[in-house]
Amino acid sequence: MESFAYPHFSSIAHVALFDRVTNAGEIRARIVRASSLEGDEGDAEREAVSFAFIDARLVTSVLHIQTAITQALLAAAQNTLRTKTVHSEVIWALNPSNNITEALRRYGVTDDSTALFVIRIESLASIDVRSRMSAVVEGTLVPMSALAGLTDWVAVKKYNKLGGDPYIKEIQNDPAHEHHLIDNIVVSFVAMKSVSG
Amino acid sequence: MALLPLPDPSPTAALVRSSVLISQGAEAKVYRTTLHTGGGPVLLKYRFSKQYRHATLDATLTRARVAGEARALVRCLRCGVSVPGLRFVDVANGALGIEWVDGKSVRSLLGSGDEGERYREEDEDIAPAEDEDLFVGYKVPKDALMVMVGTEIAKMHLADIIHGDLTTSNMMLRHPSSTMNPLGVHQLVLIDFGLAYTSTLAEDKAVDLYVLERAFASTHPESEPLFSSVLDAYKRKMGKEWPAIGRKLEDVRLRGRKRSMVG
Repeated sequence: MESFAYPHFSSIAHVALFDRVTNAGEIRARIVRASSLEGDEGDAEREAVSFAFIDARLVTSVLHIQTAITQALLAAAQNTLRTKTVHSEVIWALNPSNNITEALRRYGVTDDSTALFVIRIESLASIDVRSRMSAVVEGTLVPMSALAGLTDWVAVKKYNKLGGDPYIKEIQNDPAHEHHLIDNIVVSFVAMKSVSG
Repeated sequence: MALLPLPDPSPTAALVRSSVLISQGAEAKVYRTTLHTGGGPVLLKYRFSKQYRHATLDATLTRARVAGEARALVRCLRCGVSVPGLRFVDVANGALGIEWVDGKSVRSLLGSGDEGERYREEDEDIAPAEDEDLFVGYKVPKDALMVMVGTEIAKMHLADIIHGDLTTSNMMLRHPSSTMNPLGVHQLVLIDFGLAYTSTLAEDKAVDLYVLERAFASTHPESEPLFSSVLDAYKRKMGKEWPAIGRKLEDVRLRGRKRSMVG
């Protein structure tokens, strides 16, 4: 797990990458159930799953995640959140369209997810985030560098509508160059989402 | 999740205060910043509010320009034009975070006589070459550099993007050892798309070239052979699009940048 402090937002983002996750469907069901539970039990359950769970296949780099966190924090600070929480806003920021359901379906945890980014955004006071994450996710905590083997570049191109770009087709036989460029483009998409279109 | 208390009504203002000023222009201030701990450097272009404009007009213009610059950069990226990517956009406050380019401006590499540099350079340990053909630490002959300039501008024009302010200060040579340079070769990067727009007209592309020609003439000694190598590389890359632009460039040279004589 890595933690990134955003001093100008008085916030800290804890980011962990889990591989070989076996209970993705269960996590998804738990989040859905927590949203409708009432009373103290509901609050406790919502707190237990208060993370952004992101399917790692569609993430091109840690910078991609960090950029989505920055834009979500900015929206929270300016009271312009498009979704209910800063965690769901991170997922929304990753998807190029404005459709919230589509963003959650594509970038959030799905029943067949096996690698997940788990993110918790906090004010600077620290809590034991790692054990809280491990209480929810059954999987192996891996270093961020493991992402290199997890990204599904075909899906990234499809969901970001880059498959038809002539220049990207031109360089598709040079994966290092192609992946670096696509990463820079999708990171830029996340950063400029508020002014795209 | 808890996000309070916020120390400042505007986090972007706090970010600007914690950043290092690199350059100031009439439209914007440029800073070097980091967006979070452990993050690399990011260039922050902050279009401060203009007291001489009505607040509503100021907000509208700033918003349009930040959005325009962001869109032009992404359009360039998708077309394979070498430009820095975006890292942060706060359109309400006129702030744009742009990928840091580790390198030197073409202007400083060419040695610009006695005029002050528009951008203060990083990498103070790498001294710019004065009158050598190879630049210290960069090892690119002047002529090869001019070919890179012409080729990159042609790629941009083939994508129908007009830069609007082509000068040797708005081009950087990225150092091959830079971590954000996976290709491991020198890379010419076009920067400052604040005045960019899209157009398919040969006229607009010719004016873009004319602005650069004038910039060469006013900042670099013996600019003519330099600019002609830029133009040669540009012609080669543009192929069959060149003749129309070449004819327009002749017209523009005779009459100046403005087509219409109105106003």
